Formats: sequence, structure tokens, C-alpha cells
Amino acid sequence: MNKIDPQFGIKLKKYGAVDFTACYNCGNCTAVCSLSTQDSSFPREMVRYGVMGMQEEISASLKPWECYYCGECSEHCPQTANPGELMQALRRWLTAKYDWTGLSGLLYKSLPLSIFAFLLLAAGVIGYGAYENFNLAKIMHYGHLFEMISIGAVFAIILLPNIFRMWNFTVLKPGSKAGIGIYFKAMGELFIHMFTQKRALGCDDNQFRWFEHFILVLGYLSLLFTTVVLDWFGTSNQIIIAIGYLFSAIVFLVTIDFVSGRIKRKKEISKYSQPSDWFFVIWLFLMGVTAFVVRLFIDLELIVDNSWIYYFHLIILVQWALIIVPFGKWTHFMYRSFAMYFARVKELAKK
Amino acid sequence: MSEKNTSLAFDALVVGGGIAGGEAALNLATNGFKVLVVEKDLSVGGKMIHLSKVFPTLDCSACITTPKVSEISRHPLITIFTETEVKGIVKNGENDFDAKVVRKPRYVIAEDCTGCQLCEEACPVNVPDQYQYGLVGRKAAYIPFSIASPRVAAIDIENCTLCGACERACPTKCIDFTQKPVEYSVKVRTVVVATGFNLFDPVNIPRYGFGEYKNVITSMQMERQLAPTRPFHTILRPGDGKMPDKIAYVLCTGSRDASVGNPICSQICCMYSIKQAQLLMGALPMADITIYYINIRSFGKGFEEFYEQAKGMGVNFVKGKIGKITENAKGNLILRYEDINENILKEAEHDMVVLSVGVLPNTESEKLFVDKSLQLDEYNFVKQPEQLVSPAKTSIKGVFVAGTASGPMDIPDSILSAGSASSEAISYLNNK
Repeated sequence: MNKIDPQFGIKLKKYGAVDFTACYNCGNCTAVCSLSTQDSSFPREMVRYGVMGMQEEISASLKPWECYYCGECSEHCPQTANPGELMQALRRWLTAKYDWTGLSGLLYKSLPLSIFAFLLLAAGVIGYGAYENFNLAKIMHYGHLFEMISIGAVFAIILLPNIFRMWNFTVLKPGSKAGIGIYFKAMGELFIHMFTQKRALGCDDNQFRWFEHFILVLGYLSLLFTTVVLDWFGTSNQIIIAIGYLFSAIVFLVTIDFVSGRIKRKKEISKYSQPSDWFFVIWLFLMGVTAFVVRLFIDLELIVDNSWIYYFHLIILVQWALIIVPFGKWTHFMYRSFAMYFARVKELAKK
Repeated sequence: MSEKNTSLAFDALVVGGGIAGGEAALNLATNGFKVLVVEKDLSVGGKMIHLSKVFPTLDCSACITTPKVSEISRHPLITIFTETEVKGIVKNGENDFDAKVVRKPRYVIAEDCTGCQLCEEACPVNVPDQYQYGLVGRKAAYIPFSIASPRVAAIDIENCTLCGACERACPTKCIDFTQKPVEYSVKVRTVVVATGFNLFDPVNIPRYGFGEYKNVITSMQMERQLAPTRPFHTILRPGDGKMPDKIAYVLCTGSRDASVGNPICSQICCMYSIKQAQLLMGALPMADITIYYINIRSFGKGFEEFYEQAKGMGVNFVKGKIGKITENAKGNLILRYEDINENILKEAEHDMVVLSVGVLPNTESEKLFVDKSLQLDEYNFVKQPEQLVSPAKTSIKGVFVAGTASGPMDIPDSILSAGSASSEAISYLNNK
């Protein structure tokens, strides 16, 4: 038996939910939703859980991740209860719930704390630079090393345990009995959704947005690969240098459109922005643009006289790798695809 | 027309000749006051005269309206101006109002018309009949509807080709294309605002497909199909004239919906839909009727019993607002909704859909007074500053509101409200 927890709604508002308590339970949102199906009907149920404060049901559900914020539910809500933004807030809340360190929740709820964390890391980078007497070659070497180590460490210490927790909340605890074979069988779903986000195509009139996002994800992953594995800043291979330019340009050009969308607030999806959303798109933009300029300065042999650009890039990189990736919006890349995977596992287990 | 005296004096001006305005006028006149009723339409009787039956008694609506209408029409102290609009009222002081009203030409000398309909037969122009809510056509020379009052022809000049066929056919030579609008200056001592309401136009919810899918109709169109003066002699779906056997009602179409700008309950749609469902079970005994609702609001006297009666008769009630309607090749409609009781998204096929459209304010009432001193409430109905103590009073002393001009209400409440407005007006007239 679950208890009603009216305080939960107040908590959710800190994660960005607006007006959802106005819901009068008509189900219009579910009925106009392009992604809702007979087997998985949302978002009304989630709005209900949110109002009632039924946290266990929410944390056991994959539905928040099945929503891609087409925005039709909010646009047509008779009570302007904004179910789309509630789903978005639930995704933030779930990100915090899955995170064993609890840092995600703290950063989501408190902007001052987020700013403090960003400043702390910036100070750390500058301090380290001073410690090394701003020896650019050495710092660039360790910067590259940092990239490799941080990827492994963040994955092993934060992301993997959190995925495990997500699996525990959504598959194990609700009592889904899936054999190991099912996990293998459903594996395709994980990679398809991770690399194509094809479910977002289910939103009506969303082809262009999906395409932009798709290009951005590919651009970002390729840039990561080029800098970390192919050592873009250190290489003299002309092909690697060229593709690095291409990938970094894709990242910052596409994010310009995403940032301007959030400024213009014309579409439902970009009407409400939380600090975490701003950090995510702006840092992605800064990553792309600073990487591009650093490599450009290297090629034009300006880097020695303008080493500040590298330090700036490094600050952005460190903040990205240690705040946004493990505790921020970056995780949606992972949770969304794992959610589709787990949903498939649960579906197969039922059969 | 020039011989007519355009300066008139009355005790009371009643704006609107629907059931509320008519009732208020009658009460004033039976108390010895001279009343002018101004009606913008070609007939008095308002929306009620077009209805089939009324809830929760299932009495024939026309059989209640028509005797009342003829009583108003024949009362020696009541003057009715149809096809007339108020251009502006000025309050000079207590018991002293000046009203400008403009009577539009009907292009028929009403006194001479016998209502023989020969002009209708002769007229070659066909246009949709607004009094049958577009279900059938009418001519450009026409009697508005069979129980209209006055039951006198009119020329729809916008669609008229000026061919003269009606003039030649008219046995009393009462068609007169030279008529011009006439402006009257009317001195009155009190005003009753009974301007009624507008129905929500469902083209404003494109996802319901009204106007695009022929078998999606409004509740007023269904009302016409069920009325004694109905256009067909049975229930037909407009797409192909098939008798429907699986009819859906979509409640709260344009009510309780902030996304279309009308967040309030219309108070009548639940009950008229339940009424229509019961009538349909009589008209089409084999048909399945499903009502999709958010909440059933059966709050009036005898309403809950009426709702239970419908359930007992086999009307299917489903809790869930319709989100989208699509049409299939057979012309049937697929309704997408979430079954709230089961928590599951569902789709249901129906061969006809009735949109239970809501009540919108008639914002014209704000323009009645030249200085706009007649205040509206936050939903654009006439404001009742003393809603609990004297609900008929408006923001102007000596001006009273009757019926749905002040907010959504059903017929009994409209008549009660008209009674309240007329008694307030009488006390005002007696306390000069």
C-alpha cells in the first residue's frame, strides 16, 4: 500500500515541473500523444503519480523516458497543466534518483551550488596551470591524459552503478523475470536507440529536429573519438585534423540552433528551460567552438602566444566531464537508450 | 417607410427575444408596462425554439416555446422588432435612457405577407439553411422556419440574384426591394439585457475534424435531427445518408478547455447529451450510443435521476476526453482517448460523432451602451456585481440582465433569471 505524499509535488517543482497540479484527469494528453500506445499509456498516469506523490511507482516506470517531449500534450491540455514539462521534470528527478552519489539532485535543485561547482573546477584548472608554471606542452599532454582517465573513471564510478540502479528500480524491483537470453535478444534495441534516437521521429512534424539532434549526437561522439583516441590536438595526420574540424563545427553549429530555440521559446519543448538545460547546450557549444579554435591556433602557430584559449577549453572540458556528464543532462543519452532496452526486456519477459 | 414615426417611447427595452427576453417582456407587460423587444434575428424564440425536447422532463421544446412566443407576439403592450439591432444606449439619468435601434430591411412588407411560401418555390437560389444548422438548404427568399414568429418571408439579400422571380410569384405583392434600414430613437425607462449566448464553433479544435469529416456534427445539428420540425424524417449521417448505429458523444467540446480560451463549464452539455442519447434510443432502437466524458455534471432537480435513467436504458458512458478523431475509408470515425478507469489508451470506431459544443458569451452585449459602461466578467459574460443578493443587477443602475447573457445556464434557470430581472425592473420603474 502506498501513501499519498503531497510534499512530493513541491519537490518536483524544484526540478522544473509547472502547474501540473491543475490536472483534472481527463486523459486528453495521453490521447493526443503520438508516442503513447495501448501497452504504454502516458503522460496522464505520470501526472497522477506526481500529484499523489507516488514515488515508488514513478521510479519503477520507464514511461518518463519513453516521452520525447513532442509538446502536443501541453499544447492541447485543457487545464494548461503542462504534462510535457512534468515528464521532463520527472526525467530530472529520476536522473537524481538513479544517481547513487546524490550530487545530481543537489545540482538540479540548486543553481548557486551548480555555479559554485563550475567555479571550483575552473579554479582547479587555473591552479593546476599555475602549479605547472603554465607549461603549455605539459598541460596539453596531461589534458589529453585527463580526457582518457575521466571517461573511464566517470563511467566506472558513476555511470555504470547508476545504470545498475536504474535496472534495479525499473526491472528487478517491479518483479520482471527475464532470463539472460532475453537481455541478449533485446540488446539491439539499446544500440539502435543510443545512436539513432529513432523514437523521436514518432513526434509529428519532428523530422528536422530529429535530424539536427541525430547529427549532433554523431558529431559529438565522433569529436570525442577524434580528440581522445586519435589525439586530434597532437596529431599531424591531415585527415584526422580535417575530420576534427568537421566534427567540432557540427557540434557548435547545431547547438547554436538549440540555444536560440531555447531563447525564442516558440516550441513547447523549448518553452521552459532549467539551468541544467542551459548548461548542457551552452557547454556543448563551448566545447565545439573552443576545440575548433584551439586546433585552428595550433595550425596557425598562434597557440603559444594565445595559450589562454587552451586553458579556456580545458576548463570547459573539465566542467563538462566532471559535472555535466556524470550529474547533468548528458545522462539522458544513456538513460533514454537503456530505458528502451529495459522496456523491450520487460516486454519479452512478459511473453 | 418614411411615414413611420421613428421616435418611440416605452417603459422598458428588452434586448433579445429568446426565452429569457420573452419571459421578462411578458412579466413587464402583464404588470402594465409598455415593452419594446429588440431581436436581431428574423424570428423571436431564441435558441430554445430550435430544440427537440428539454431535459429532464423530455417535454417538447417547441410545444413550450411556441405558446409563449405567440403570447408575447399578441400582447397589446409588447412591440417586437425583429431583424433589429441596438446601435447604442445612453443613460441620461434614472428612468431615462435613449436607445438607437436599427431595423434592417426584410425586403418583404411583413403586414401583407401571408406566409404562403410561393416565393420560396419560385426562388432559384439554394444556400445552406442556418436554422437547420447547415443540414439542408433553403432558398434566398424564404420563411425562416416553420414555427417562426412572425411567420413571414424574408429575402436573403446577400445571396439574392435579384432575378425577380419571387416578386412575380407573390400573390399579395408584398416583396419590396426598395426597403432601407430604419433607425429609431427610443426613449425608455429601464433596459433588460437578454442577449443570450453563442455556441462554440468546433472548427477551432482541428483535431476533431469538424468541417473536414462529414460525419462529425455538432449537438445542435443533432438537436435539429431530433426535433419535430426536423429536416429528415429519421436520423441520418450527413456523409452518405446512412442511418447510424454507433454514435459517439464528445463532451466538453470547447468547454472546460483553457487551450481554446473557454475554461469554464457550460452547464448544459452533459444533460442535453444525455437527453439526446435517450431520444436516439427511441429514434434508432438498434443503435449504440456512447458518451465520452470528463465528469458528468448532473446537478439540477431531477438531473441525476435522468442520468441514471440513461444508464438504465443502455447508454454507454466512458470516462475519458477524446483527444483526436480520424476518419477511415468507410467514413467512420476513429476516436482516440484514454480510458481513465482502466488507465489505457484506446481507439473506438463510431459511424457518427456528435460534438457536444459549449456555451460562449455573446460579447455583443458590451457594445450595447455607447460608453461601454456595461461591465463584463472575466469570462466576458455580463457582470453581476451583486450575484448573490440581486443577481439581475448589472454595473448600471436601471439595467438588468436575464438568462445566459450573465453566464451559462439551462432553460429553467434562464426563465427564473428572467423573472428576477423583470421584477427588479418593475421595482426600479415604480421607484422613480
